[in-house]
Amino acid sequence: MKVTKDLAELCALLIDEIYGELPSRIFAVLLNRGRSSLGQLGQYTSMTPRQLRHGLAVLIQQNLLYYYIDNDTKTATYEANPEPAYNLIRTGKILEMVESAHGAPVKDVMQSLLLLGQTRVSDLKAAYEEKIKRSTEGAQHANSDLDMVDGEAPPAAKKANLPVKSARQLNSIICRLAEAELVDVVHGLTFASPEDIQKDVEERVTRVKFPGGVKGGKGKTEFEEAVAMELCKIRRESKSLKRKLEESGATAAKRRKLLNGGVTAVNGVNGDHDADGDPVLDPRQVIRVNYEKCLVELRNRRLVQFASEMIGDTSSYVYGVVLRQLTKKVSRCHTDPNMDIGDMGDEDGTRQPVVTTMEILDNLPTTIDPSNGLAKVARSRINKLSAEAVQPNPPDPNKIPFLGGGDDEDDDESDESDVEMNGKHESEDESDKDAKSGVNGTAGKVRFAEPARKEGRVDMLRQHLYLLAENRIPFIRQCANEQWTVDFTILVQHLREAELDAVIERTVGRQGLRLVRILRKNGKLDEKALPSISLMKKSDVQNKMLEMEIAGFVDIQEVPRDNSRTANRTIFLWYTDTDRCIHTLLNNTYKTATRCLQRLSVHRRKEKDVLLLTKRTDVKGREKDVMQKEYYDRFAKLLEVERKLLGHMMRMDEMVAVLRDY
Amino acid sequence: MSRGGRGGGGGGRGGRGGGGSDNPWANDPNLQVDGRPSELFPPYNVPVAAPLTKKEEKQVSYFLLFREQVHDGPLYTQTRTSNVDSSEPTRVYGQEQINKRYGVKNKATVDPFLAMPTYSQRFIKQERALPDLASRPFAKEFFPPELHATLEGEDGPAVVGGKRRKLNGKKTLALSNITTLRTAADIFLPEMAQQDQAKAMQLLDKLGDEDNPDDLLLDDDDDWVRTNEDGEEAADEEDEFDDESDNDYNAEQYFEDGAADEDYDDGGDGGGEEYF
Repeated sequence: MKVTKDLAELCALLIDEIYGELPSRIFAVLLNRGRSSLGQLGQYTSMTPRQLRHGLAVLIQQNLLYYYIDNDTKTATYEANPEPAYNLIRTGKILEMVESAHGAPVKDVMQSLLLLGQTRVSDLKAAYEEKIKRSTEGAQHANSDLDMVDGEAPPAAKKANLPVKSARQLNSIICRLAEAELVDVVHGLTFASPEDIQKDVEERVTRVKFPGGVKGGKGKTEFEEAVAMELCKIRRESKSLKRKLEESGATAAKRRKLLNGGVTAVNGVNGDHDADGDPVLDPRQVIRVNYEKCLVELRNRRLVQFASEMIGDTSSYVYGVVLRQLTKKVSRCHTDPNMDIGDMGDEDGTRQPVVTTMEILDNLPTTIDPSNGLAKVARSRINKLSAEAVQPNPPDPNKIPFLGGGDDEDDDESDESDVEMNGKHESEDESDKDAKSGVNGTAGKVRFAEPARKEGRVDMLRQHLYLLAENRIPFIRQCANEQWTVDFTILVQHLREAELDAVIERTVGRQGLRLVRILRKNGKLDEKALPSISLMKKSDVQNKMLEMEIAGFVDIQEVPRDNSRTANRTIFLWYTDTDRCIHTLLNNTYKTATRCLQRLSVHRRKEKDVLLLTKRTDVKGREKDVMQKEYYDRFAKLLEVERKLLGHMMRMDEMVAVLRDY
Repeated sequence: MSRGGRGGGGGGRGGRGGGGSDNPWANDPNLQVDGRPSELFPPYNVPVAAPLTKKEEKQVSYFLLFREQVHDGPLYTQTRTSNVDSSEPTRVYGQEQINKRYGVKNKATVDPFLAMPTYSQRFIKQERALPDLASRPFAKEFFPPELHATLEGEDGPAVVGGKRRKLNGKKTLALSNITTLRTAADIFLPEMAQQDQAKAMQLLDKLGDEDNPDDLLLDDDDDWVRTNEDGEEAADEEDEFDDESDNDYNAEQYFEDGAADEDYDDGGDGGGEEYF
């Protein structure tokens, strides 16, 4: 993660917003100055060592720092870890995602973990037990007093309604989270920065395996592989909880079967099953939230949304099932170039996961009717060969137009294939459209077979999968007969491009977007050729191109035909650099999110007196009853503004996620 | 001198070129310069963001709830020491200037309206300048050794005689009591409910013991008085206070309302007593 100035500012503001000023100041300094020791920090921030120590403890507890302890001097140097700091912005999103995927109790545990930072399992259990005990006591009081004290009964009764009801349930929830990899284990090297680990491992490998030094090309690759293996081992350490659960042979699926079997049995037996099903976790284990996996889940959601925009709702549901099955074993969105070289045959190796049609069918909820969103086209109109073609290898990412290096022939080829695909796509779209209109009862161009004709669920599902595979955007790929996979890198590139296109369109309009697309397809274009290709007036093109150059979406290259460099002897070539556009856009997005938070603090300063009032213990929580109306109105307005600004900030984060993290 | 030369040169060239009006610097009689000043604030079409969708509303609420819970927890430091004023330019050069914006306490930064102790300051929550680390357990093996004392809460100013606060026994993590956003029931009642319930139980016991209504009434009163003294905040007192605060600085009441003045004059000692 490259930390730009705007990102650094944003991270510091986020920490300020959530954990307070003291940790935020330390974090900002660490980001600006790089790794520093306590003494250096004191010099930079002119804070007392006591303040610094407290702030650092909070930061480490929330996983926001790396540190390194020098073996000789026993002093520690600290380094900022910007990723979790940025991920604070996603807290709401992650919690919402967990709730919709796993339910409210799991969300509650997740929230506690986010709140507490790294937590020992035993401590977490004790905390929950304490809370449960208190709430049951409260409930008992409430029940006994229900007749007499009406006023106090409701809150107590409400408190008894806890999302997590017993320690056993907590245990099974933690197991579930660990299996889903949403929670991982903190181990000795969690707080070592990746560079330190890399250096350490390299030194060790050299000492053990290459005492004479690394020689030659072959030796170098061997060395790299050995290093990668060691690094993977360290990385897998954090998944030890999941592995242990798998080894004990009690995966979630099995447990669920046991539970289902137990339903018919007596209740007591059921309870036993529950206890058997969940291995009791080692109470000394320390766990924390794994943001990497959260990101994978968020990416799935975004891709499903993308599919629903491009194709249709039913297909997107199917796609959701495909993604869920595929990403069970995907731990992170990006592969690490240092670790995932070669063929690591382990659980987080680079082998592409594959899902079969039947698996998808098994996991498709019965509430989804796959016959929706499909049209029936006469068989003669379908090119069966191309529709059901198997593509065993992922397409070369270099052939995606905007990733292309600049080899003209190559570009042309991909263009042709694009055109071909577009042609196919159109017909597909048409049929899709017809399907929708067919549902509404209007007759389409294509003759519909009568709905009475029965088609199996599998066939319809297959049709959806073909629909997804044949789209202009390659959502899935049939890598072998009846086996499907997703090329995430390519797909996400398309997603990024779509996002960038949306921004370009909003900034310079449709014409501008059209010109950018033309440039993207053709590479560099002469100023004179552009109007004829785009079928626009020369002056219009020039104005639009200038506007876009100012906005930074296109650029111009001058190629002088001779040494004199006069304007009329020079070729002007327009081009667009999509990668650079995305980087600029990303940085601007950080800036916008920062502005949201800064704006919020301006609003808070403006309403300082109101906020001071609402923080009072006798006012907090019942502002409406206690405060004067004009004050309350100001307060309510501030809350509304806050929601809007934070909502906008989260939208910005959505964009950052697409442009950087997915 | 030089101005004349340049002008001449320009004119000369223009003359050689023949068509004076072609040159941008020549005075074009047909040219109509719009000499009016441009509008200071031209109408600008501000793009308005779409309202939040239901899902986004939910995400924002969860974020706010999370923030509220963190702010309620022991790791949060409330104190804000930065004295950035929005009226001043916020540009800073270098870390030193950034540091100067924090923790400044002098005559200029004191708010004269709040510096004087007032009754209502009772209700202001005590701000923490440092996180309250001693109140919760930590997984200490994951902290550098130099911070261990801090985690134990032993990183304070040296106290003479060992009067240092030390929490004995096992510490437990406190899960936040805040379960919903900004509702009176959740922020208020959990802490008070139990005390009040205990009080209510005592009262009920008394009610069961003696059926004398007069005694009961007296007891009741006594108890309430005690509650006011013991409890951190009591409803009666607050309300009374709120009523007063509304009129505290209402000068007109004192000067325009003749009746009040008369009362004051006539009452003499009696009026004085009221103020005590």
